[in-house]
Amino acid sequence: MSSTRKITDIPLNRVEGDLEVRVEHGDGVITDAWSAGILYRGFENLMIGRGPLDGLVMTPRICGICSTTHLMAAVRALDAIAGITPPDNAIRLRNIALMAEHVQSDVRQSVMMFMADFANPAHSRHSLFEQAQQRYTTMGGSSFIDVIRETKKMLEVVAMIGGQWPHSSYMVPGGIAFEPSQAHLLQCLQIVRGYRQWYERRVLGCSIERWLAVDSRAALDAWLEENGAQRESEVGFLLRFGREFGLDTIGRGNEAFMSCGSLDLPADTAVQASITSAPVQKRQLVAAGIVRHAAAEAFDGAKIAEDVSHAYYKKALGALHPFAGETQPHVTERGGDAYSWIKAPRYDGSAVETGPLAEAVIECRPLFLDFLAGPGASSLTRQLARLTRPATLLTVMETWLGECISTHGTPIIAGDGLVPDGQGVGLTQAARGALGHWVSIKNGKIAHYQIITPTAWNGSPRDEKGVRGAWEEALVGTPIADPGNPVEAGYVVRSFDPCLVCAVHTVKRTS
Amino acid sequence: MISLYWLQCGGCGGDTMSLLGTETPDVPTLMQSLGIDLLWHPSLSNLSPAGQEALLADLKSGARPLDVLVVEGAVVHGPAGTGLFDAPGGRPRKDLVAALAGQARFVVAIGTCASFGCFGVGGEIEATGLQFTQSKKGGFLGADFRSKSGLPVFNLAGCPCHHDVLGNVLLALAAGAKVELDELQRPVDWYGMTVHQGCMRNEYHEYRVEEEDFGEKGCLFFHKGCHGPLVGGTCNKTLWNQRSSKTRAGVPCFGCTNPGFPTPDPFFETRNIMGIPIELPMGINRAHYMVYKGMAAAAAPERLKKRITEV
Repeated sequence: MSSTRKITDIPLNRVEGDLEVRVEHGDGVITDAWSAGILYRGFENLMIGRGPLDGLVMTPRICGICSTTHLMAAVRALDAIAGITPPDNAIRLRNIALMAEHVQSDVRQSVMMFMADFANPAHSRHSLFEQAQQRYTTMGGSSFIDVIRETKKMLEVVAMIGGQWPHSSYMVPGGIAFEPSQAHLLQCLQIVRGYRQWYERRVLGCSIERWLAVDSRAALDAWLEENGAQRESEVGFLLRFGREFGLDTIGRGNEAFMSCGSLDLPADTAVQASITSAPVQKRQLVAAGIVRHAAAEAFDGAKIAEDVSHAYYKKALGALHPFAGETQPHVTERGGDAYSWIKAPRYDGSAVETGPLAEAVIECRPLFLDFLAGPGASSLTRQLARLTRPATLLTVMETWLGECISTHGTPIIAGDGLVPDGQGVGLTQAARGALGHWVSIKNGKIAHYQIITPTAWNGSPRDEKGVRGAWEEALVGTPIADPGNPVEAGYVVRSFDPCLVCAVHTVKRTS
Repeated sequence: MISLYWLQCGGCGGDTMSLLGTETPDVPTLMQSLGIDLLWHPSLSNLSPAGQEALLADLKSGARPLDVLVVEGAVVHGPAGTGLFDAPGGRPRKDLVAALAGQARFVVAIGTCASFGCFGVGGEIEATGLQFTQSKKGGFLGADFRSKSGLPVFNLAGCPCHHDVLGNVLLALAAGAKVELDELQRPVDWYGMTVHQGCMRNEYHEYRVEEEDFGEKGCLFFHKGCHGPLVGGTCNKTLWNQRSSKTRAGVPCFGCTNPGFPTPDPFFETRNIMGIPIELPMGINRAHYMVYKGMAAAAAPERLKKRITEV
């Protein structure tokens, strides 16, 4: 059989940046995969020697799609160094902007990047192809256009809190730079309500409460048959189109999940943490945790290490913790084992996936646990977790905005806005998974800055033991009907919501 | 129809994300009403790899005409001029920039990276802008480059570029209107005013009522490193996301439309001599400014000193 195997390079667009996947395939099935970040720009070394607050300006600019998340990770590292807990309203207003970024990104990525391929000619024999074209044709389909128009409204919330989206720097050590007026907060609340109504009408086809009651695969089947609105919604269409094509049978991955936790709860709030069972470590809306082979563990940041055995960087002595890691590009490594600008982060030696599905599994959401207990993870399950995640965030945004309004005028910053020498880590969840900034300040300047992005986890190359990264593993076994138009591989990779501009690290300033 | 090819080089995609926030008209309406044929956009297109290869071959040979080339992100030359730090399929992307720029009627650099090089200038990625390297004319395409229409590259600077700028330039090109450019090749309609103009904190600047700690109301120029009076940009004339701007949210302007962005000095700090910023508002005489600010501070009304004004 090996004589029939071929190697094909697949450039992938609609992944926010540059990605090439090299696949080995034979008899119409992918037998091996190598994922390569092909642009080297990284920012970490540009940070060295800069002012202690400069990460707040520089790192959001790593990524146009999750700039608020980088800002959150950067400021949390500085809070940790300064030993400050921000006041409640600063916590709320940081969280609300981050959640606004998530709830628009989840829908944009699902419709404009993932479901856009439903209109690909590869599906011309699919029974829903005509409808798919009408809905998802890029720049012309009804859903595609609707999503552009509605999601940008949500970003007005970020602008009213932080001045602009993308690339604001309104989170500062100990809090935020300014309290929005009550008038602006009321407008934010109205925008979130309006978005929720649109999300319920068009994306879910039902109320958020109805959706959250779907707690098993059987309940999901019943929900899909319940009425026309649910069948015709984006979620309904994703399920119907995806099942007929077999998206529920590809992209399983290694079923090791990680969340580093996100969205600290204010001291005084009506919002409850999403899970209360062990091993919860902090009062956060999105729980930190690890699930490997269906066993839950507490998350421990000390167990993270970056391996560069297959990346174009100078070789360290084994994998290094991000406080010890370096970013030294070494392009002449091309041609050897190296094939990517993405490093290979590992948790306690394991390749893990991170993102909305990982969050749902770690938070023990019954629908997704049922999938894992049954057929296992798939591209369809992963995408379903993403498209329905806003259902878990939108009502909390409304509650927190209400609390900001009723406590308007209370402090939005603690401390003096300065950061002493020291070392700190800022962890948070981006729309697409775990993000960490490891920062050290010495003599009033940044001495060390290492970043591990969600796509570094999901799209990592092999490690020194030869273990594939999450979507490399998910690609193996995927059928590939037409190597010239490999939509199946696209679905597998896009179900991880890749963000390559984030994942590639940058270059040292020559001195 | 106006054919448009969007090429992403060394950048973050933020200019695309910004553009999607534009309102009058929004992106789908803009495309439809101008008859823009979006041949390729890395985040928005649905074209198979084989289709993309065929398209590029036709564009490079001129078999298929290209009206507008939009470049987002810096041109990456490193390491050692090879361009291999940004090389899809092992082919340096800068070669594609050169090939398409040579065929396009108009060439547009969107964002400060594509305009001036931004983060990667002087670093190992050896970044340049399309026709500038920071404020030095030349860049990747050379000072004398002219697209097929006879015009130089339009630099739509900003990190990111304000969401309304590109649409407006496309409207102008479609209408056959002249787009007047400044010495940095930025459209004066969008860069011919300072970020300071229109700032809600203007009066605090006028009377030198300063913000020293985050969360205070006051002018951010004297202590917080605000570049608002130093740079051209539309942020406080045409608000961000229809709603606000950084300075209105208490965040200093970082001067991201300038070719020198990001400056090596720490952000959130104003370099000063005797309490007067080293860099003064555009075109101002230092001695006059010091006298004026001294008098202005003395004349500051109580409502500003007590920060009763809502901003």
